[in-house]
Amino acid sequence: MDHNKLKETPLPHLYLISSGQENPDGGTLLLEQLNLLPRTLSCMVQIREKQLNAKQLLTLALKARACALPYGSMLLVNERIDIALAARLDGVHLPENGCYPDNLRPLAPKMIFGCSVHSPESLHLAEKSGADYLLFGPVFDTPSKRKYGAPQGLEKLGQICRISTLPVFALGGITPENGEFCMAEGAYGIAGLSIFKDTSRFVDTLEQFYRIVSP
Amino acid sequence: MIPSSPFLCVITDEALCPVTVAELVLKGGAAMIQLRHKSASGSQLFSWAVEIRKLCQKYRALFIINDRVDIAMASEADGVHLGQQDIPANVARKLLGKERIIGVSASSLKEALQAEKDGANYIGFGHIYPTVSKKKEFPPLGTEALQNAANSISLPIIAIGGVTLENAATLISCGATGVAVISAVSRTDDPSWAASELVAALKWNNS
Repeated sequence: MDHNKLKETPLPHLYLISSGQENPDGGTLLLEQLNLLPRTLSCMVQIREKQLNAKQLLTLALKARACALPYGSMLLVNERIDIALAARLDGVHLPENGCYPDNLRPLAPKMIFGCSVHSPESLHLAEKSGADYLLFGPVFDTPSKRKYGAPQGLEKLGQICRISTLPVFALGGITPENGEFCMAEGAYGIAGLSIFKDTSRFVDTLEQFYRIVSP
Repeated sequence: MIPSSPFLCVITDEALCPVTVAELVLKGGAAMIQLRHKSASGSQLFSWAVEIRKLCQKYRALFIINDRVDIAMASEADGVHLGQQDIPANVARKLLGKERIIGVSASSLKEALQAEKDGANYIGFGHIYPTVSKKKEFPPLGTEALQNAANSISLPIIAIGGVTLENAATLISCGATGVAVISAVSRTDDPSWAASELVAALKWNNS
């Protein structure tokens, strides 16, 4: 692979996904979370708010971009490279049914492109099209994914991590208690959504995760 | 480039395969296709867009994509059509550059003037007549509002909403450069024929 990655700084090992409950009128949980991020704790942050229209999403992305994030952090948006370009974000996260990175890379050679994968087949497609990292899940049971059936489990996570040449973030029901098992299976890092919604415990949770994912 | 007046723009119908509809109506003489599908996935939209772009090149028609500036950029469509809930036209302009076409939906003169200021290339104005294709939150604007908009802005106006064979020429005489339809062609047994009839109807009392 010789595509043009942001290689100077390695990807952070923690990955925060926005709640999916952002209100179009502002006063958002995401901004609260971003402002709570400890200065020394770099983080991948994906804005994923499918209920917002493009105009609202752009407004949120611009507000998020205006937050001072810890050094090395990367701010991404789900699917929409137009929003990422307009708000000068660091990357785009592509769902399994989205465009492939090589469809979009020419538009933004220096951006980070991540892909959600749920099987070895989609992993290969993502690798082939030049993804920078993968998001795999749900590893454990999680309320936000229950409608899609049973979780994938640790064994499948391990299988994906062993065949992947890219960093794999484990997602879905991961807690400070079970996170170590994901890392033991070869995950590069840990991603979460629901667990980060409680802002009173946000910093605590992040710091606990950070101890687990730190190499 | 916006097609020369009067022309027919066909917006793809969510219930049908957009590539099939596009090919049929291009054969019938549509000069502009707008790919609009709110529920399709990104990869699906992208592959449709690549196909429809090829068809539009073959028929020398304009190809634009509704809302998804990202897909328009990735598929090298001729442009985008933006609603009031989409990325603002001035932002889209920075992303797309000077050459691409940006259209903006307006349902009032105020919105049309704002779109002109934001660097739009044309205005989609409507709905002029009652329509079944989309649920509407306001009554039809009528031809007077269309005339008023055409007199007040210098951009081409595409009239939309309830366009039929009977009223198409009226819309042109009220100052519309073209008309846009969804159901009037796609919900017929023969979309090619329906499109060609509409193209002919646009010129009826327009000599």
